[in-house]
Amino acid sequence: MIGSTLIAVLIVSFIAAALAAILVVSEHFIANYGECTININNERDLTVQGGKNLLSMLTAEKIFIPSACGGRGTCGLCKVKILEGAGAILPTEEPYLSQRERESNVRLSCQVKVKNNLRIQIPRELLSIREYVTRCVKIEDLTHDIKLIRLQLIEPATMDYIPGQYVQFLTPVYEKSPIEVYRAYSIASDPAEKGIVDLIVRLVPNGICTTYCFEYLKEGDEVKINGPYGEFHLSDTDAPIVFIAGGSGMAPIRCILYHMRNTGIKREAVYFFGANVVKEMFMVEEMRRFESELPGFRFVPVIAKPDPDEIWEGKTGLVTQAVQSSVKNGAIAEAYLCGSPGMIDASIKVLNDLGVTNDRVFYDKFA
Amino acid sequence: MKQGPEVQELDIALRASTLVAGGFMGNDPRSVTEVIDTDAGELSRLGVSAAELATRMKEVTEKAAKAQGTWTETGPGREAQVDETRGANPCPWRHTGRYFKRVTTVRRKDSDEIIRWSDLNTHMIGAHGFFEGKGSMFRVEPAELVRMLF
Repeated sequence: MIGSTLIAVLIVSFIAAALAAILVVSEHFIANYGECTININNERDLTVQGGKNLLSMLTAEKIFIPSACGGRGTCGLCKVKILEGAGAILPTEEPYLSQRERESNVRLSCQVKVKNNLRIQIPRELLSIREYVTRCVKIEDLTHDIKLIRLQLIEPATMDYIPGQYVQFLTPVYEKSPIEVYRAYSIASDPAEKGIVDLIVRLVPNGICTTYCFEYLKEGDEVKINGPYGEFHLSDTDAPIVFIAGGSGMAPIRCILYHMRNTGIKREAVYFFGANVVKEMFMVEEMRRFESELPGFRFVPVIAKPDPDEIWEGKTGLVTQAVQSSVKNGAIAEAYLCGSPGMIDASIKVLNDLGVTNDRVFYDKFA
Repeated sequence: MKQGPEVQELDIALRASTLVAGGFMGNDPRSVTEVIDTDAGELSRLGVSAAELATRMKEVTEKAAKAQGTWTETGPGREAQVDETRGANPCPWRHTGRYFKRVTTVRRKDSDEIIRWSDLNTHMIGAHGFFEGKGSMFRVEPAELVRMLF
């Protein structure tokens, strides 16, 4: 009796598996959606062979939508507005879309399959994003868990970007990741060096990209990036500046400081940079050079709690405490912040108390 | 133990490196159901529920987060630090909500013993009773967690 039941179960399981396999094969080889047109911003039509997801089709056309998970529906970054032709929102998209986004026809481009003509809207700045083949020419330890990675652009050989923007780093398939993923890093380099992109990367325990950067990437390796992305940039005013950053948040601030030096911007500026202990502080000499090159610029490193064996004569405590006690021109200052959501939220609160209104607070949040 | 198709699908998702390098199951050969059931038994022996643990983990994280990445006292003989990095993870159970890549580290001052968890750990323990598989980078042992938190 048990034997015949087992055989029956096996037969049913086999038939189910065979049907599933037939469906998959049919989907791949038989389903023919024919040529579809993707209209972008009512300005441009792409003619594509239907059947793949929108993100991959746009990528194939060199239109790069930010995506950190390689189109697997796990990062929720690849949002575009699809005005016509997308069909109903899929269960895989639901966790990533707010009610407001749903009402505005925002969808995850990696989950929407192109089966018919689509009309989509993409922010104009994304249309100028390109993929760059680069070579890693330098890896430098800045602290025990932060590295500077210098990339020499090969094709195209130069990149135009606004200081403060970021690029996406393509992590290839390697021992600890069977899939390619993109991760975002702010550009840290001198914008005058148009063939160089410096990144400041902090190790994330078990992080796919940072593990690759720390344990596998070597000088001489080829690296693909795309970009530039982002709206974090220095405003075109004369307002005094308060920069606040910690850890790898140094990256866009460093780039902006080079930009100020290169273009002769003489705005009054103070940069509060926080670290836990003295050995986690980095690029101090470079910041001191900026103090001599940029009239009105002051660098204020802040150590939370120096180790007993460390000598430190600078400010101690939280970086927000240093801001609270030092900034006297909040009523007219602009603030530029880069760091963790917790640090940014705390900084905004302090800045508001000092008279810096939210319309004068600009930030690049790690979120 | 037989697994329904949904559990089988979840098991595959937890073992994949799609969300985190190495996945959530480490080198644990057991099914996700066995992992959860075994840990539930351990919690019962310890006299604490997964929800209680998650609540305490959240309290510690929120208190430490106010220190902006620096070490701060979170209880008698305990200090904690919260590190945040760019991005957020969805729960592999595929429901609404994303969890910031925020890692809380708790240290016992007397022994320097540390324990570490992510916001996603806290959620998966509280909502799903899942402490991750053995060998996973973010596996949290229930007994160790109880010892470090209470």
